[in-house]
Amino acid sequence: MPNWLVLATEALPAAALPAAALPPLPVALPLLVCALLLIGSRALPIWLPDLVAVLTALAVAALCATIAGRASAEGPLVTWFGGWTPRDGAALGIGFSADAASAGIATFAALLFTATLVFAWNFFDRTHGHFQILMLLFLAAMVGFCFTRDLFNLFVWFEVMSVTAFALTAYRLDDAAIAGAMTFTVTNSLAGILMLAGIGLLYARAGALDFADLAAAVARAGHDPVTAAAFCLVAAGLMIKAAVVPFQFWLADAHAVASSPVSVIFSGAMVAMGLFGLAKLVWVVFGGSAQIRDAVGVFMIAGGAVTALFGGWMALIQRHLKRLLAFSTISHAGIMLVGIGALSQGATAGLLLYVVGHGLVKGALFMVAGILLALRSSVDEIALRGRGRGLAGAGAALGLAGLLLGGLPVGLLDLGARALHGALEAGGHRLALAASLLGTAMTGAAVLRAGARIFLGWGGRPGNEGRAPTLEEQERGNRAYWVMFVPCGALLVLDLAAPTGALVAAAPGWTRSFTGRAALPGDAGALALGAAWMPAASVGLALFLAAFALFGDRVAPAAAAHIRRLHAGPAALLNASHSGLVGDDVVWIVLGLAVLALALAVV
Amino acid sequence: MSPRLRVLLLGLAALVLAPCALAVIAAMPEFGTAIAPYGARINAVAPAERNIANMVTAINFDLRGLDTLGEEFMLLAAVTGTVVLLRGRRGERDGDRAARLPGRAVVPRSEAVILACRIAGPLTALFGLYVTVHASLTPGGGFQGGAVLASACVLIYLGEGYAGWRRGVRSAVLDAIEGGGALLVVLCGLGPMLVGAAFMQNVLPFGTFGALLSGGLVLVANLGVAAAVTAGFSQLVLEFLEETRAPRPDGADGGDDA
Repeated sequence: MPNWLVLATEALPAAALPAAALPPLPVALPLLVCALLLIGSRALPIWLPDLVAVLTALAVAALCATIAGRASAEGPLVTWFGGWTPRDGAALGIGFSADAASAGIATFAALLFTATLVFAWNFFDRTHGHFQILMLLFLAAMVGFCFTRDLFNLFVWFEVMSVTAFALTAYRLDDAAIAGAMTFTVTNSLAGILMLAGIGLLYARAGALDFADLAAAVARAGHDPVTAAAFCLVAAGLMIKAAVVPFQFWLADAHAVASSPVSVIFSGAMVAMGLFGLAKLVWVVFGGSAQIRDAVGVFMIAGGAVTALFGGWMALIQRHLKRLLAFSTISHAGIMLVGIGALSQGATAGLLLYVVGHGLVKGALFMVAGILLALRSSVDEIALRGRGRGLAGAGAALGLAGLLLGGLPVGLLDLGARALHGALEAGGHRLALAASLLGTAMTGAAVLRAGARIFLGWGGRPGNEGRAPTLEEQERGNRAYWVMFVPCGALLVLDLAAPTGALVAAAPGWTRSFTGRAALPGDAGALALGAAWMPAASVGLALFLAAFALFGDRVAPAAAAHIRRLHAGPAALLNASHSGLVGDDVVWIVLGLAVLALALAVV
Repeated sequence: MSPRLRVLLLGLAALVLAPCALAVIAAMPEFGTAIAPYGARINAVAPAERNIANMVTAINFDLRGLDTLGEEFMLLAAVTGTVVLLRGRRGERDGDRAARLPGRAVVPRSEAVILACRIAGPLTALFGLYVTVHASLTPGGGFQGGAVLASACVLIYLGEGYAGWRRGVRSAVLDAIEGGGALLVVLCGLGPMLVGAAFMQNVLPFGTFGALLSGGLVLVANLGVAAAVTAGFSQLVLEFLEETRAPRPDGADGGDDA
């Protein structure tokens, strides 16, 4: 365990508690505060819920960090709720098993909530603390989702996340918000139903719900249609949350219409939770089935690569900044999915680091979008051209975050990306590696192009993004610029200041504890960072693409016009395929389910 | 995409999914095979170690009480979300007064309805309490009892009219009861930790098997859930009824009574 972590966590009062008492606390604390806020909702002064929510989120972060520190030293902290410890080697009740990596992810989620609640200070003052209640419930659900070792309990927290998210999406209550929330509600309820059906199938086979008992039953079952179908349904549910192609259609609509503080959480943490849960189940529950491992190796690698490219391309042809960022989240979700498909310890370490790095950078980006919405009353890149002047800090943050997203070789996101690159190279997944580099470059280019247009006024003639759907919207400008900018900057500082050396040293141990097993055959098990030229190439490509989008007309008019014509048809088709109709989204989900079932049946 | 294309794609997917589903069904455990081992063990543990006769309650509030904690707060999230969305559109003003649509006739209720509601209301509430406190013994418990109690609350509207309902049922009070019930459930989790037990460990005396006061902490948690469910459902009814009072943009009348 790195020294800085020992020092940081020993300073906290919770460090003195017995190990088993710690994991329930970061879930129970926000629930307790929610209940108290609801009791006093009419009597409290309007600034108090904001303050209480920020402090609670911060306390949850401190508790989770303490757990991460303890788990790093002592191994996973296990709690059995109600004191129902396993008997005769089988669980009776529900357990939490907080390993260092899961606790680290929970810490990150709590920090993101803290920053978001500061960012949203005073934004939701009309609702008697109801917004803060929903946000804290959201956080409690995420922490429970990270810590649980019981499949049905995982589903419960998954659903609490969904229910809070539905209401938070529709909060703005105009037609677009209601439509987006409706699509989100239907698709993600479908995700819940699929997951529940899968859990039912697995319970029928295993007669247990605890991860360890399930893993034993899955390993016993061998090549078994029931286990495979259970995995298919549970994985589809989680991949809907994670917005993997072709399950992704809801995401851009929901993220684009949600209020910007909510979008920060959605893109920064909620999507990543889907991938985190999938990684955990693939390793901890289904890892013993060769059939499922083989299908994961094919579907997740191919699906992740396609998602990375698709999201990147879609991001390039958007003009609505939040929609653009939403598609970049899809692209990065694809890259993380490839990390699951690689099925190696190094790739899993990369995935976990990437989740945090991406969440920090993407959160900061959505905050910049929120600043523009509040102070410039638009997030349309073309309508805003040059109007970002005077918001130098936000512009710098957008530029830096765009470079980080495109692969700038510093900070946590880059560390995760390089760990993924190294693992993909070692696993022989060269095409997926190329796809993830291209996806990275395209999302970076899209953000840089939008930033240069908004804050520098460059790029007078829009390309195909000019024909993308956009939306007139604004958010209340009742908050001071610095209140919104400080959390945004803090997220970027966290990404840049992460102690990469200490993390590289700790990652193999944390990953072993997270996956619950030693490396699979053929996996060295070490954290191998990819070559330095890869991030450099992707950030170079991002800069080139952005520059071409902005200045192509002036430098090489003939080539630019030709590419634009060639690109116009597919771009229009892609934008049209995101019809926002629930029926279409469901058809795509069923098709994705069929492809995954086929992979499981054939491989 | 066009409806025809949708059906075509769904048909393609069904071509793959149907044989897979058949294979899964063929491989499932036979219909009527013995109860899963987990269930069998719980059937043995709950009466012997907790003096609880109702296995469903033993699972929901003791063995797997954490799921119920999550579900209780899922309900709270759903109610809070609904309130935020409905109230957000209407605005917060006039929060505690019954909204009136101008020009809508106030139809007096028949005295038979009033009498029936005044008799049925308290009886329904009593039954709700009965279902709640017998959680350890007979089918039912906090969720079911709370739903019955909320029905009793809605009978106030039916019997006393909308203005009477709004005078008697205050949104702030419902918030407090809902939050208080949820708080009680959380404290059922945290409380035992104060005496060194595990989160939600049943540390109260279990009573005798079959007695009303059996099951220990299970009864307390059920009371908390019942309070939260009663107030949560009543809050939903209140918000939805108020929603019908909001003037519509086209000027049409919702067309219900006063």
